[in-house]
Amino acid sequence: MSANSWLATGNFFTTYKQEQRTFLTSLDRSFFTLFLVILFGWPLLFELGNKNMLVIDNILIAIVAVMGLNLVTGFAGLISIGHAAFVGIGAYTVASFCRTMGDSHIIITHFWPVLIVVSGLVGAVFGAIVGLPALRLKHLYLAIATLSFQMIFEWTIQFMTFFNQGQTIYVGRVFWFTGKVGRKDHYLFWYFIILTIVILLGFGIRNLLKTRYGRSLVAVRDNDRAADAMGMNPGLTKVYAFALAGFFAGVAGALHAYVYRGVGFESFTLHESIGYLAMAIVGGLGTLNGSFWGPVAIKFLDLQVETLAEIAGKYLPSSMNLATALKPFTFGLVIVLFLMFEPRGIANWWRITKSYTKLWPFRY
Amino acid sequence: MSYFFQIVVSGIVVGSIYALAALGLVLVYKSSRVANFAHGQIIAAGAFITYYLSVSLGVPIFFSFLASMIITFFLAMSVERIFLRKLIGEPIISVIMVTIGLGSILDGLIYLTPFGSENFSFPAFLPQEPLSLGGVSISWTQLVGVIVTFILIGGLSWFFKKSTIGISMRAVSDDQFASMSVGISVPKVFGLAWALAGLSAAAAGCIIGNITGLNFDTLHAFGIIVFPVIILGGLDSILGAVVAGIIIGLIQQFSSGYLDGNFGLKGTGDVMPYIILVVVLFFKPHGLFGIHEIERV
Repeated sequence: MSANSWLATGNFFTTYKQEQRTFLTSLDRSFFTLFLVILFGWPLLFELGNKNMLVIDNILIAIVAVMGLNLVTGFAGLISIGHAAFVGIGAYTVASFCRTMGDSHIIITHFWPVLIVVSGLVGAVFGAIVGLPALRLKHLYLAIATLSFQMIFEWTIQFMTFFNQGQTIYVGRVFWFTGKVGRKDHYLFWYFIILTIVILLGFGIRNLLKTRYGRSLVAVRDNDRAADAMGMNPGLTKVYAFALAGFFAGVAGALHAYVYRGVGFESFTLHESIGYLAMAIVGGLGTLNGSFWGPVAIKFLDLQVETLAEIAGKYLPSSMNLATALKPFTFGLVIVLFLMFEPRGIANWWRITKSYTKLWPFRY
Repeated sequence: MSYFFQIVVSGIVVGSIYALAALGLVLVYKSSRVANFAHGQIIAAGAFITYYLSVSLGVPIFFSFLASMIITFFLAMSVERIFLRKLIGEPIISVIMVTIGLGSILDGLIYLTPFGSENFSFPAFLPQEPLSLGGVSISWTQLVGVIVTFILIGGLSWFFKKSTIGISMRAVSDDQFASMSVGISVPKVFGLAWALAGLSAAAAGCIIGNITGLNFDTLHAFGIIVFPVIILGGLDSILGAVVAGIIIGLIQQFSSGYLDGNFGLKGTGDVMPYIILVVVLFFKPHGLFGIHEIERV
C-alpha cells in the first residue's frame, strides 16, 4: 500500500472492502483527526466576538443545507429551485412548537436535539411530497414544479396567522449540561453543535454514497432507463432523493431557528433558494467536498462585497445605493463566470491540486 | 352582474399582458430549449429605457417606445451571443443557472440607477376619464395596452407563418440537424429568437409601466409569473401562450375578486397561478397546446 492519498500514483486495492474504507491509511486518519482538533480548538484560543461567530455559524448552516441540495441536484440530477422552502419548513417546525407551547417550553429548551431531528423528518416528509412530480416530470418541468412549491410555501407562511404572517417568531434560549446558554456563549455554543452535525452528516453522505442507496442516485442521474434495467426503481429513487434533501434542509432550518433565536419569512425566499443553488454550483455539483467549498466561497464573497461597498460608499454621492447594487451584481457575475469557465466548481481545483502533488516534481 | 364583467375585463387586460410577457419565453424555449429566468429583468429594462428616453430626454412617447424595443432587441441578442452560445449542449441546470445569474447581474445594474429603488409613472398621454360601457369601465391605457399587445402578437405570428426568417426559425425548433443541412445557421436563429424575446419584453414592460406605474419589484415579478402561463400553454406554442395568459389572468382576477375576503382568505391572486401550475404539471404536463414529449420512467 502506498503512503497516502496525496502521494499514491494509483489504486492498489485488492478487495472491495479496502476501497470502501473511509481513510485509506493511518496517516490520512491522523491528518483528518488533526484537522478536526484544529476546527474544534481554535475558537477556544482566539476570541472572535459574537458578530464573527454568527457569520461562521451561518456558513455552517448553509453547508448543511447545501449538502442536501447537492444530494438531490448534484448526485441525483434533479433540479430543485425550492430548497429554501424546505429549510423554511424545518425552521417553521421549531416555530410551530414555539407557537403552541410558548417559546421557552421544556421541549424547546431542553430537548432541542430531538426537535432538530424532528424538523429534519418533517422536512423529509415534505421533500417526498414535493418529489412526487419527479415520478412524471424531468428537467425544466421539475424545476418549475419546485419553483411553484417555493411560491406556495411563501404565500402560506405570509397568509397564516399561526405562523405570525411571516413576522418573527421567537425561539427561547437552550440549556446545556452546564445550564442556560447565555448571550455571550450563544454563537460559540452553536458553532460546536453545528460543526458536530456537519461532521456527522458529512460522514453520513460519504458512507451513503458507498452503499447501493447512494450509488442508485448517481445511476438514475446518469441514465434512468439503464438504472431501471439494472433493477433499480428510478421513480422511488427520485422521491427518496428529494426526501433526503428535505431532511438535510429541515435540520438546517431548525439550526437556523435556534441560532437566530427567531424565525422570519424573509430567510426562506426564492432569492435564498437561488443562493443555495449558486453555492452548490460554485462548490461543485456532485461532489461531497463541493458542499463545503461553495457556502464558504459565496458567504465570504458577500462579506467582501459589503466591506467594499462601505468603503466605496464614502466617495460616492449618497443617492447611489452601492451596497444593494453590488451584491446581486457580483453574485450573478460569479455564477456566470463559474458556469462558463469552471462548471465543475471549486471541487475541481481541489482535485487538480491533489493530482498535482502526486506527480510533483514531474509533469506527468 | 357588472362586478362580474368588470372582473372579466380586468382579467383580459392582465391576461393579455401575461401573454405578451410569456411570448418572449416561448420564443426562446421554442428555438433553443432554454428557459430564461432573466426575462423579468429585461421587461424592467425595457420599461426603464422608455421612461428615460421619453421623460428625461424628451423624445415623443411613441418613438421612445420603438427605440426601447430596438435597444432591448440588441441587448438580448448580445446576451445570447456572449453568455448563452458557449453553453449550447450543456446540462439544463447550467443553462438555467446562467440565466438566473444574468438576471442577478441586470438586477445589480438596475439598482445602480434611481429606477431600482424609486417609483415612477409615465406621463399621461391618453384621455384620463375611463371608458364606460354598461357599468363596466376600462381605462384608455388598458384599452390601448390590450390593442397594442394583440397587434404585436399578431405581427409576430404573421412573421413566423409567412416570412423566410420566421419559417427558418420554425424549422430549427422542429429539427436542428435537418435545418442545418438545408443551410440554416442555427446559432443565428438562436440569437434572433433572443432578440425577438427582448423586443416583446420591452413592449410588455412599457404596457405594464403605463398601466401600473414603474416599480422594479412589480416589473421583475413578471419574470416569474410567466412560468405558470407558459406551462399551461405548453412551453413552445405561441397560441398556447396567448390562451394561457388570458386564462391565468382571468383566474387571478376572479380569485382575488371572489375568494379574497370570503373564508378568511386574502392575496389568493398571487398564489392561484402556482396552484394551477402544480395541477397542470400533475395531470397535463405538456400543457394545452404543447407537444407531447414528456417521457415517463
